[in-house]
Parts: sequence; C-alpha cells; structure tokens
Amino acid sequence: MPKFETTHYTLEYPYQRTTGPVTGPFLTGLRDGKLLGIRSGSRVLCPPLEFDPDTFEELEPDFVEVGPFGTVGSWTWIAEPTRKHPFQEPFAFATIALDGADTPIVHAVKASSVDVMKRGMRVKAMYREERVGAITDVYFVPEAEAYEQKIAKGKGEVGISQHLISLDFEESFAPTRKRYLEGLARGVFIGQKSPATGKVYIPSKGYDPIERVPMSEADDVELPYTGTITSYTIITPVAYYGQKETEPYIRASVLLDGADTPLGQQDLRTISTDEIRAGMRVKAIFKPEAERDFEGIDNRWGGTGGVIDRWEPTGEPDVPFEVFSQHAY
Amino acid sequence: MASRTHGKEDIAIVAVAQTPSYRAFEETEPLLLLTLTNEILKATGLERNDVDFTIAGSCDYLSGLPFAFVSNVDGFGAWPPVYESHLEMDGAWALFEAYVRLQMGDIDTALVAGSGKSSPGRPREIFALQSNPYYLAPLGFDPISLAGMQANALIDSGKATEEDFARVVSRSRRDGLSNPYAQVAKDVSPEALLKEPYYAQPLRKHDLPPISDGASMLLLARGDRARELSDNPVWITGIDHRMESSHPGLRDLTESTSTRIAAEKLGLDGGAFDVAELMVTYSPEEIVLKNALGLTDSVRINPSGGPLCGHPVMATGLARVCEAARLIQRGEAGRALAHASSGGALQQNLLCTLQASAS
Amino acid sequence: MERCAVVGLGQTKYSKRHEITVDGLVRWAAKNALEDAGLEWKDLDAIVIGKAPDALEGIMMPELSLADALGSIGKPIHRVHTAGSVGASTAISAATLIESGMYDTVLTLGYEKQSDGNATWALGGGRSGSQGAGGSFAPWIRKYIAKSGAPPEVGTKVAVKDRLNALRNPNAHLHLYDIDEKKVKESPMLWDPIHFLESCPSSDGAAAMVLTNEKGAKKAPKKPAWVIAHAKRTEFTQFPGRDTVKPQAGVDCAEALYKKAGITNPRKQIDCAELYVPFSWYEPMWLEGHLIAPENEGWKMTLEGATAIGGDFPVNMSGGVLSSNPIGASGMIRCLEAANQVRGTAGEYQVDGARVALGHAYGGAANYFAMWIVSSEKDPKF
Repeated sequence: MPKFETTHYTLEYPYQRTTGPVTGPFLTGLRDGKLLGIRSGSRVLCPPLEFDPDTFEELEPDFVEVGPFGTVGSWTWIAEPTRKHPFQEPFAFATIALDGADTPIVHAVKASSVDVMKRGMRVKAMYREERVGAITDVYFVPEAEAYEQKIAKGKGEVGISQHLISLDFEESFAPTRKRYLEGLARGVFIGQKSPATGKVYIPSKGYDPIERVPMSEADDVELPYTGTITSYTIITPVAYYGQKETEPYIRASVLLDGADTPLGQQDLRTISTDEIRAGMRVKAIFKPEAERDFEGIDNRWGGTGGVIDRWEPTGEPDVPFEVFSQHAY
Repeated sequence: MASRTHGKEDIAIVAVAQTPSYRAFEETEPLLLLTLTNEILKATGLERNDVDFTIAGSCDYLSGLPFAFVSNVDGFGAWPPVYESHLEMDGAWALFEAYVRLQMGDIDTALVAGSGKSSPGRPREIFALQSNPYYLAPLGFDPISLAGMQANALIDSGKATEEDFARVVSRSRRDGLSNPYAQVAKDVSPEALLKEPYYAQPLRKHDLPPISDGASMLLLARGDRARELSDNPVWITGIDHRMESSHPGLRDLTESTSTRIAAEKLGLDGGAFDVAELMVTYSPEEIVLKNALGLTDSVRINPSGGPLCGHPVMATGLARVCEAARLIQRGEAGRALAHASSGGALQQNLLCTLQASAS
Repeated sequence: MERCAVVGLGQTKYSKRHEITVDGLVRWAAKNALEDAGLEWKDLDAIVIGKAPDALEGIMMPELSLADALGSIGKPIHRVHTAGSVGASTAISAATLIESGMYDTVLTLGYEKQSDGNATWALGGGRSGSQGAGGSFAPWIRKYIAKSGAPPEVGTKVAVKDRLNALRNPNAHLHLYDIDEKKVKESPMLWDPIHFLESCPSSDGAAAMVLTNEKGAKKAPKKPAWVIAHAKRTEFTQFPGRDTVKPQAGVDCAEALYKKAGITNPRKQIDCAELYVPFSWYEPMWLEGHLIAPENEGWKMTLEGATAIGGDFPVNMSGGVLSSNPIGASGMIRCLEAANQVRGTAGEYQVDGARVALGHAYGGAANYFAMWIVSSEKDPKF
C-alpha cells in the first residue's frame, strides 16, 4: 500500500509582461548590448522609470546610454545561490552606479572570489550569449575580469518580457487527509462525523467549521459506495499553460449515503450526457487496487484522483431535489 | 490634507492568542486559526456572533495556491455569516484596518488575525516575487540578499559592526529560551556566533529568521465594551504605517525613513517605553530601527526573542503586538511599542503604541 | 463619524492592454481620478489598493513594487484581497479611513492585468482541469432556473442589454455593435446553461477613486457623491445547509446596507444599480439575493425591461462585468459607476435624475459580498 508521507506540487506559469514605453526600450537596449538611462530633470535614472520618483510626474522617454562601467556601492556575497539566481556558483548582488547615471542599479556581479568585492570597486557590464530582452541578459564583472564582446543587434522592439515563475512546494499530508487516502487505497470511503453537529464530512478537513471543533481519528466513519448525483457541470476546456484537458467533460458532485457534504470533482465520463441529472442514484466502482492513483489529492484539494473506475447508475428511482438541496454545492 | 494616528474612540486589546512557531505544522492553516479563535472566545466569554467585525492577513503565494485565504475563513468561523475582510498583508495591517473601522463608533468589537505556513515552499524563491517584476524578480533577487546588502551598507557607513549583529542574535536567541512560542532559542555568545561561516556576507545563517508556520490573533474592543470584556485592557494610543521606494537603489539602506515618519506622526519619545517589540527579521534591522525610533538603552527590545526566534510570515508583525500587549496585561510593562514590517530591508513599516491606561 | 464623499473618478480603457505596464495602468486610472478631484499626488494622505490573487500577474504583494508608481512613498498604503468582491471591499476599506476621521483624502484603486497571465489557470489553482468561474456557478444557475421557473431567454436578454449599454461607454472592453439575442443563443455553450456571450471577457484595466471628508468635499471642483452606507458579509464556501442560489451572506449584507441607509423599499428608493454580473443569469439572481425583487421573481424585472436604461430599476448602465472584467477592478468599477450616476457625469449611459445608486460585488464561491450606496445628497430622505 502507498505510504502517503508527503505531497509535492509545482506552481508554474510563464508570465508575459508587457514592457511599455520606458522598460521596453531599456530591455531592447540590453538585448542589443547597451544600458539606457532616462532623463529626469537634471538626473539620469538607470534602470529607467516611467515617472520621476520624487514628484511622481510622468517622464518623457528621453534616453541616454550609460555604463558599461560602474562603481559598486553596497554588496553581499551569495554563498549558496537559489535556483532562481542568475548564477549557480557563488556571486554577489550589488548596487552599481553606472557611469553617467545618478541612481544605482541592483544587479549580479560575477567575481572570481569574494575577496575582490568591496565598495568603490569598478565593474563592467557583460552580456549573455543568448539574449531575450530581459534583465537577465546582462551581468557585471570586476573590471579586471572583463573582456571584449561582440554583440549582434536583435530585431524589433522588446514588447514582452517573459518571466517563467516556477515554485516547488512539498508538505506532509495532514493526518486526516492521510487516513482518507489510506481508505481510498484499500477501497473504502473514510469521512468524519462531527461530535458537535453530527454532520458527516468527506473528505474531512479535520474539523467541523460550523462549530469550530477539531476532529480526530475517533471521529472517522466509513461511508458506503452508493450515493446521489447532486450537481454537475459540463466543461468545455479552454487551453492554458499546463492544461491537459482538450475535450468537453463532466465534473459532478456525488453525495454518498449518510454524508452531509458531497464528493466533488467526480468524473462521470461513462454515463451519457443525456442521462446525467441531479438526483440520479449511482454506485462507485473502484479500480483494482494496483491501478489506483492518487494524483491531485492533497491537503487543499479533495476529490478521488484516479481511484474510482466509474460511477454506475443503480437504477433506483431518482432522489427528489428537496432531499439533497442542502448538501449540493 | 492630513492624517492622524489615533481617533476619537478609545480602542483596546482585550485578548491575545498565538500559536507557537512551528518548523512545520502538520495540520492546515485554518486549524491554526481555529484553535486561536476558540481560545479568544473562551477568554472573553463571547459567542462567535458577538464579534462585530473580523479581519485577517495572509498570503496566497506562501502556500502556492491562488485564493488560499478563502479556506482560512473556516478558522475564524463564518456561520451565520460574518462581517469580514482580508488583507494580503501581515496581520498587523489587519489590526490597522480594524482600529480604523472601530473609530466609526457603530460597532464595538473586532477580531484580528494573521497566519501563514512557510514550510511547504522555499520562502527565499517565493519572496523574490515581491521585487520589481522587470528589473529584479527575474534575477531571483530576494530579501536575504537585500538584507546582506543592507548589513554591508551599515558596516561601510560606520553605523554598525558584525559584532553588533552577533549581539542582537545572541540576546534574542537567549530571550527566546523563556518564550513558549519560540521555535529557535539558544544560549550562545556573540563570540561563538562570529565563528560561523558567512551565508550572505556579512550575514551568517543565524542573522536570518527560521522558516516557520504559525498564527496570531487578538480581539479589539471599543471604550466601555473593552472594560466589560477585560479587567486589564491594553489601550492602543496610536497607530501609523508608511511606505518606502521599491527600488533599493533609490533608498539609503542604513536608514528607515518610513519608520522615522511614522514615529514623528506618533510623536514618539524614544525613551518613554518599557519595551519595544520590533519585527527584526534580519539582525541588522534592529540597529536601523533603534536609530530611526531613537530608542534609548533603557527600552528593552524584543524580550520575546523576536522574529529571529520564530517567523510565521503574515503573523509575525501581529505577533509583535500580541507579545507587547501580553507584557502590559501581566503588568510587566506600562508602555510598549510594537512594530511590523513588510517588503525587503524594511520597505514598509507600521508602528503601534500601547499602554495600560486609556489616555 | 466623519462623512465620506467621492470627489474623483478615474478609469482606464478596459481591453487587452499590450502597450502598457502594470505601473502605467494603475497610474493612468489614479491620475484621472486625481485630475477629476482637482488634486495632486502630494495631496493624498493614504492609498488603498485591491486586486485578485497575486498569481494572476505573478507579482507578490504588489503594493510593494507599485509603491513608487502609486505615489505612496512616505505614506500609508494597504492592499485588500477578498476574491472577486475585492474591488468593492477596497472602496469600502478606503471609505472607512475617511469615516474614522483619521484620514482626510484617500486614493483607492483596483486593477488587474489579466493578459500578463491567465485567470482560468489561477482559478484552477495552477493545475490542469480548471473548471473556471463559470464551471462553479453553472450548477447554481441551473438550480435557480429550475426553482424560479424563469424562461431561458432571461439570460440572453441580460447579455444583450449589458452589451448594448456598453456601446454607450467608451471605457468598456466589449463593443459588440451587432449583438442580438440570436447571436447569444448561437454562441458556444461553455458551461451548460452558460453560453460564451453570456460570460464576462478577460480584461486588463484599473479604476480609481479619490475619497475625502466633508471639508474636502466643499473644496472639490465637481459635485461629490456621498457614501450613505456600506456593508460586507462572508460565509463559508461549502457547508451542509448552504443556499448556493441565494446565499445568506448576500441577504444579510443587503439587509445591513439598507438599514444603515434608511432604505425600506430598495426597488423604489434606489434609482439604479451596478451589480457584479459576470454571467448573465446573475442579474435576476442578485436582484432576488439582495432583496430588490421578491424570491423567484427577479427574472420578471429583466423580462419587463425594468433593468434597462429607461426602466424603473436600471442595472449595469456602464455595460457591467459582462462587458469589462479586469477582476480586481471590477468591484471598484461597480462602486465608481454608482458614484458616476449620482454625480450626473455618466454621459451617454446616465440615468436621468439618479439620486441614489447601489454598487455591488461578490466573490469566491458567491460567499463574499461587499456593497455600498451613494447619493447626490448627503442625507437623502426616503
């Protein structure tokens, strides 16, 4: 039987950030191997802002080239970079006052050793081989470690800066959720009966929210395989990053007999669309034990993953709406 | 055009509750809150429906689930329906809104909460998403890195030394030993700390807070209602919060100008407190804050051990208020200052002054 | 209690805004609102912003990175998040700052830049198989239809009415010049019974208001809209005994609101309303859910034309959420457009003589509600 120790998930999306009239030219400059500042009164701001940071008034897009040399102000040495940092070996983050700019940029300095890092040191902008019109196109090195680069100009203006945000999460299954999963693994539905209200929750969150009573293993109850479809939605999937569904499908809620909350996210693919209705009596047919998969069930998401093979109509008469209306979400 | 740091109505904290800081709480975030709600209601003898307004602070990104805050409603109860709101900020800002709301004079009580579970994610990667989305976030530029830069700026300016940082850590971790909510506590000398390797030079790992799960909560009440609900209400004499630039290059990292503005608005006299609970997430911040607030050496800073002993993000700031209020409740302090912060290197700061008597 | 007046309104054009950054978007709305109020950035005492989940744009706690763009340096700024209701919750939070007597002039702003990310992705928790907002609401809409006996054309009529209204509003995202009932009925069925043209679009945009006290209102260059009452209510998303069609929190919210405003007959005493209707059937559902129409009879108001401009209870004169949906701003727009009506500045979609208007938003699984009532008079008598 599976162990259900920890659950992992990744929240990932490639954001398409529109760059506008000021950031756009700056990122286009980076792609083409130059650093641009914007005039703000008598000052030059780099990185450029759309407005004067003191008066908040709009700035005209009047750009001047700054750098490529600059002077380090504050810095820190990143001994153990995260996967999101621009270098995977130790490097520095620093404020860098670029020659010709009046406000410093914060960026990465790739130095051979922490020993060369100090306030006032001179650095030079270096460019990545592959440039995409993003802040990561550039980095800085100590002047002594700089070398000549030939930068080919790209085509067009950078209108979008893509940022792939991918975050990993890992946590233990909460005790109640773990017992629910263990139940599914051996082919039974485990809910919890609230000692305060007598309501039966499945899957339970480990408490009865109505009376704010935490529940324990002693409150676990086994529920039958039979139930009633209380609501459903026919979903025409839209395409988006990470979407696997392409064809219309049905998501339903099934109220197991004796439960007060329905099991959500149920797949009714084997019942024809014309037949499906709220009130229909159904029975869960589990997959063989070895084929049950639990993907998608974690502390926040309930459902039954890939545990149930199908919901089979029992042929019993429909249950009138009034009977389950209080339990249909 | 003007703003004020207190209103006409006297508002007091009548009950506080905190969970310990856990390295990883095995149950869900709503359960953290549920326990505290029950504790507060029990302490005040109130029914859920007796509470007029509820407001909480939490953060979807910490748990990697858009709309994660919605299930937190389970934790403070919402049946029958409640008058409720939510800020995607530390619970200390929820306290601000609750205090302001009670000034309208038509309701008497407000339940204020902050909660967060940092343990499932990688906070350093997540918090990089607070920085400028074009210029910094794609570099993974995170608050720890900014804290390292701030520390170096302090050293270069002569305002602090690595020994100063180590002294903050040593005192905080030792104070944490007597705090039942502390997650990390230790009797360790500054000298021993300075022998540890650098992590974000000049910072060492112990200059950073632990990764924590936890929640904090308090109940506010207005005027006579506060006196009914508590024998020793803790009165809020002022609250103010201020923001600074999101561009680290535009800030003097050795200063906290936003804290200074808030302190001025509140008319703070840095020596007039028995205790200050400050949201010192990285040890150098204590030095910056102490300067900005003009705190004299007679003011005891972070007797709880502060965030260096437990950092349940989104509850950490409100926890400072809870810790300060508890000292006043117990008669161990007469006047206290609580501070909360948001963003890298103290970008945004909130101050709240507390005392045992109403005026 | 200090009184709150709305003295400045600012909106962007709602659409897919590929030429502008989030900074640019929020500043556009904020500057318009300031200009309308005859004020400058320096005149603001506090800023209150709201938006839906951070993952929509991938910017965490955006009050931090927008601090400069919003002119909030050295000032208080806080950020509200109550799902779809957030825009109205934000306006209410800002009104509270004024009503407390602690702040004299406050900028409040809601925004969303949906085109940088994907809302269906976010609504599905970033996983495959998101049912979207429509998927959650479809079963409840079906339940409403079954219970109330409303004929199917009600949803169609709302969809057409709001899009025709949008043609009068230059800021609206959708300008469907050839919209008619046939087109709505023939548009693809997304989530039975919701057709494509009965659903809201995915928009970028920002909406902002400048709020001030009585003293500030006297100095304002234009006529203010007075905040008469506001209310918020929340219930659990799911629990046994929940009425998903007419959630108790919505009923309680309306009752509290009307009581505070002194309103005893909302249909008669309120001149027009901007209701949060992302799917057309929610017009009759909220007319009932907020006690404007008797139970099971909200759809009759729609069919009779009562909710059209020129009817006795116009709803969503601006085109509503069905015509523009920058999620985090959508509730703010409802509150803003209510103020627009009572100030008499709504132009082509002005309701003649509008004196009292309702702004409304709901969110989550229809478990968050936020509403306000504004009037051209400081103390309207009913």
